[in-house]
Formats: sequence, structure tokens, C-alpha cells
Amino acid sequence: MKLHKLVPGLMGLLLMVSIPFSAYAADPVRIGLIEPFSGPIAAIGLEILDNFEFAIERINSKGGVLGGRMLEVVALDNAMNAEKTTQQVKKAIDRGIRFISQGIGSNHALNIIKQLDKHNKRNPDKAVLYLNHSAVTTAFTNELCSFWHFRFDANVDMKVAGLATQIGRDPSIKKIYMINQNYAYGKSFQAVGRRMIKERTNAELVGDDLIVPFGKVLDFTPYVAKVKASGADTVLTGNWGPDLVRFVKATAEAGLDVQFYTIYGGLPTSVNGYGVNDGMAVKIKQITEMHENDAHWTDRDNFESDYLSKYERSWYGERGRYILDMFVKALEKAGTDDPKAVAYALEGMTHPGPNGELLMRAEDHQIQMAMVISTIDDKAPRKMIYAGKNVGVGWKTDGWISRSEISQPTTCKMKRPA
Amino acid sequence: MEILFFSLFNGILYGLLLFMLSAGLTLIFGMMGVLNFAHASFFMLGAYFAYQISQFIGFWPALVIAPLVVGVAGALVERYGLRQVHKYGHVAELLFTFGIAFVIEELVQMVWGKAPVPYEIPQSMKFTALTWQGMNYSAYRVFMVLISVGIFAALYLFLKRTRVGLIIQAALSYPDVVGSLGHNVPRIFMLVFGFGTALAGIAGVLGGNVLGTEPAMALQLGTIVFVVIVVGGLGSLGGALIASIFIGLLTNMAVSFDIPFRGFFEALGVSPEAMGTGKDLIDMTSSGISPILPYLLLVLMLIFRPRGLFGQRDV
Repeated sequence: MKLHKLVPGLMGLLLMVSIPFSAYAADPVRIGLIEPFSGPIAAIGLEILDNFEFAIERINSKGGVLGGRMLEVVALDNAMNAEKTTQQVKKAIDRGIRFISQGIGSNHALNIIKQLDKHNKRNPDKAVLYLNHSAVTTAFTNELCSFWHFRFDANVDMKVAGLATQIGRDPSIKKIYMINQNYAYGKSFQAVGRRMIKERTNAELVGDDLIVPFGKVLDFTPYVAKVKASGADTVLTGNWGPDLVRFVKATAEAGLDVQFYTIYGGLPTSVNGYGVNDGMAVKIKQITEMHENDAHWTDRDNFESDYLSKYERSWYGERGRYILDMFVKALEKAGTDDPKAVAYALEGMTHPGPNGELLMRAEDHQIQMAMVISTIDDKAPRKMIYAGKNVGVGWKTDGWISRSEISQPTTCKMKRPA
Repeated sequence: MEILFFSLFNGILYGLLLFMLSAGLTLIFGMMGVLNFAHASFFMLGAYFAYQISQFIGFWPALVIAPLVVGVAGALVERYGLRQVHKYGHVAELLFTFGIAFVIEELVQMVWGKAPVPYEIPQSMKFTALTWQGMNYSAYRVFMVLISVGIFAALYLFLKRTRVGLIIQAALSYPDVVGSLGHNVPRIFMLVFGFGTALAGIAGVLGGNVLGTEPAMALQLGTIVFVVIVVGGLGSLGGALIASIFIGLLTNMAVSFDIPFRGFFEALGVSPEAMGTGKDLIDMTSSGISPILPYLLLVLMLIFRPRGLFGQRDV
């Protein structure tokens, strides 16, 4: 090869090498989003990526952060493999990304927490902060709590406390049957469910089953028969995916007069799975930060209507919005994108929520907020849209659970960097 | 006593659903010697086609059209894929169907997306047909049972009592002789494969709205149908029926009676309190392992009677 052909290439190489070392004011603030973007549940990961991109676009169009810098989301695919999550965290660090977000799968979240704890201890000047949007294992803000982890979703204990509080308000509920999946999440739901039913309701726990999780159970008839035999009027379950769908379908077919208190029963994919008729038959209830038919709901800045027209699906999960709003607020308060300063700025931060104030509790980095219980409603004025189709149901508010009722004590003893 | 009869009843119902799922697989294996790994994928295709067709012209036309389309797809796979691979032996065939399973899964995701689709039981079949112990059984479930029994009877009579059935059976054992008698053996194989996949399609139409229609369904069901045909005896239709019902009863009883293992371990002299990490195992009950029991049965069957209950040859 002639030298004059090599020169432009060399120049290019030099330029590429030099970019990471230069700190222009216009450098974007990057958030590495680690989720499954391939494999069987890629659909959920890609939706979360859409949500981030949509919310960030809005922030950037209003002038970005820190005096004109843009926010940018970098998609890092873990293919739902916890080992790959570890690799992607490493890749993010190598690329100089200082903020990571993730939420699908608590085992992935645990990997990130442990990895960042180690990394940040060894490289205090290159610390990385983890913004957890949906991984709900309570231990992350209890015994496993970390200064570098912030959770913007209520944990399992808080959600079950919310469900139990609502059950306690309904004197017609006398007998509760719990069914959960036999793995870390289902077991913690079970443990806190037992406690909360005792503390917050006058109802009796008449059945308490753990099932083999993740679609292994094909026939739920024997479980439905047990629910029937127990005389339960209410089912309390943390099940999701086929483990929820098949149970709902089998219960509806058997014609049992029960109602379902769930965490994940209101996901559009869940409703599509069990179908509108069966969902209505067992009166599915869910606990969320907000839903579109609640009296407190407003389409602020046309956020949700613009989202709907862009992606042809309803906005689900208010936290997808306030996680970035609070992050931006913390950047501005800290006046820098240094993760340690941003973390300190997030501690104790308050932010207007859908109904009342959100608080990022400083002791354990767990968000504190009011949540709403709602029932499936095929006559709701605003129905969910998913993949361009009307799912056929919306939600009707049963009641709000106040921030103090949702709030749970923490055992976290956090070590803070100087 | 009541709970015994009740779980017997539920177990048989579930067993008949399992038989419907595995009838096509055992037919293809019995007649062609091909262990079709993609069987559950054709089942999934049946469910998705039925969902799509029922969106336009309703459930009943879908019940007829979807299995036909699946059967044609199966026949094409045999004609242009499996037949070419056949000369390289059974391992090549097995790997081929294994690959087909992945291709179908990807195709389904590309067309219908990765989330479940809302495929529901037709309203006209939702009414309660019978009630027992406070549990309703819908007309749809009764209909499924009838179809399942019908498939068994029709297949049995077809293979044992009709001329075509005899030719098909002969073509498996003596393809050269049957060929020299003027029968087109490759075409017989194509039709058998197509018919077997069409049976999977029927099961998909009927089972998809009970189990939920999503891309992972093939993976979840693929293993259980293999248990059925291995336990029943590879290629034995009657064996598949008995194995299905046995598995249905086993899983149902394990949940209904929910026997704790603690007593068993204590009888063995293991003190639960002394155990550290094994304590979870001791505290388990039979319902916790009910979905695993068929696989345990599979392992035991392979060890003690590799040909299955009614099989004519070893696995």
C-alpha cells in the first residue's frame, strides 16, 4: 500500500483514539440501558428502550441538561442471560458510560449491584451509578443495599403491603388463597403476603401454594379445585406470564366466584394472554403508580397521547417518566455528571408524583410513593392500546394507598463514599 | 373419597388433552421412524393460524382450515426438506426437525410479534356443560375430550382396519417390496407426515386458547409430548393414550393430595433440623414437584423398560 493512501486512515484512527480523552461541553450524558433486546422476551426490552428514547427526546428538545448537553441512551443487549449482563456492564465501563439503567430480572440487577460495588471501590474516580427502574427484590434496599443503586419502583414488600391494605378495606373479603412461583421473587411475595394478611386484614389465609415457575404447569385445574375447596373468595398472587394466564383461564372456566389481587395482571401482554372475558370474570386487580382512568391522571404536555400516536401503544408505568425527570434534576442540582455527586443529589430528593410527592429515601435509596389499586374494566373510558390494537379493557380505581401505608422500614446500613 | 374421584376425573380430562397433543407425533414416529422435534412447533402454528383465521371468519372455519394449512406446511417440509435428509439416517432427520423448530419459532415471532396474542375460546362454547363439586366444565372442554377420543378411534380404525392403513404400515417395514408392488412410497411418507402435523394443528387450534398462544408455547410443550410417546412406547397409539392419561392422573393427584415429604425423610432417619441447605427439599410437598413427575417417569422408564409400555422396539 502506498503511503498517501495510508495517511487518511491514520488520521482517522488518531481522531478516533483522541475523542474519548477530550471533554467537550457538548459531550452527551450517556445512560447504558441493559435489557434483553434479543431472545424470547426481547419485546419487553425493546419497549423499555422506546420509553427511554421517547422521554429523553423530550428532555433534549427542551435544551438538554447541564447547560446544553444532550442525554443519550445506549442499548446494551443482555439477551436475558445474567452472564451477558456482567459483560455489558464491563463494556459500558470501558466505553466511559457512567450511568446504567436496568429493570427486567432481579438476578441481573444483583449482578450489576455487586459488580459496580467492586468497580467503584477500586476506581473511585471512574464510578458508575445504577438506576434500577423495575427490579423489585426487596433485599436490594435492605441487606444488599448499595450507595450506587437507586430503585424507582416500589419493591415486592411495598406492593404486597398495598394490595393487603386494599383487601383490609373490603370487609366482604373473608378468605384468601395465595399462589406464587417457586423462586426468589415468588417466595418473597409469599413471606410478606403471610405477614401482611395478618397485620392489615381481618381475612384468613386458607391456602398457600408455590408452583413450579415459568410455564411448566400446563393444567391448573387441580389448583382451581383446591381454591374452590378452600372456600376462598380472593386470590392473592404474584404470578406473571403463562403462570398467571393459565391460572386465570382455568379459574374463569370453572366459574369460581373469586377476585384476583395481582402485581402483574394489568400488563397489556397479560390481558392479551388471558383475554378480556376471563379477566373480567375473575375481576383482575393490579397495583400501579397510575392508570389512565384515575381522577388524578392528566396527559401532561401531551406526553402520553404523543407516545400513543408514535408507538401505537399506551404508556404503561409512570416510573418510566419520573426516573429520567429525577435523574435530570439530580444532574442540575449536582451541576456535574460525576456519578457520586449525582447520587448524593438524588438522596432525599422529592418530586411531584401522579398523586402526591415522590421521595427518594436517603437511607436505602428506595423510592417512596402512593400507589393505586384498580380493577379491570371493559367499559373504561380510556382503554389500553397495545401493538396498534385496542386491548378491550381499561382500569377503574378501587382506592389509593398512601405513601405512609406503602412505606416499609429498611434494614439497610449504607456505606457512603467520602 | 370424593377428592379421589374428582382428581381421577380431572386427571383423565388433562390426559386426553395430552393425548391430542402427542397423537400426531406418535403417528409420525410409528409410521416413518422420524422423531419429529418440531412437532410442538406445528402445534404452535395451528394455534396462531386459528387465531388469525378466527379474527376474520370465526372459530369454526378456523378449526377446519388451520389444521389443513398446517398439514400442507408439514407435507412441504417433508417433500422438500426431510426427504433429502432421509438418506443420511435418523440422526440427520432428528437434527433437521430440530432446526425446523427454531425456524418456525422465529417466523412466528416475525409475523405475530414476541408477546402473546389474544386467542380466546369462542363465546358459543363457553356455557357450562356440567358441574361437579362446584366446578364448572365448559362445553369447550367437553368438546376437546370428544375430539381427542375421536382422533384415537379414527386413527386406530384407519391404521388397523383399512387397506390404506395396512399399506402405510407395510411401507415402513418393507419399503422396497411396497414400492415394487406399484405404490409410491415417498408420497405415502409425505402424506403421513402431513397428516401427523395436521393432527398437531388440530391440537393447536383447540389447545392454544386454553394454554395461551405465545412464541414460547412450543418450547414449553415440546418436552411433555416426548415423555408421552416414550413412556407409551415409541410408535404405539394405544400406549400414547394410556401414558397420557397416566401422566394426567399423576400430576393431578400430586397436587390434590399434596403429600409432604417430611414424613418420608423422617422415616429414613434424616432429621430436618440437622440439615442445612437440604431443608428446602425436606419441606417440599408433592404439589411442588408435580410438573417434574412426568420427567422422572421418563427417566425411570428408560432405565427399566426402554421400549416403553407398549413399544415394539427400544428407543
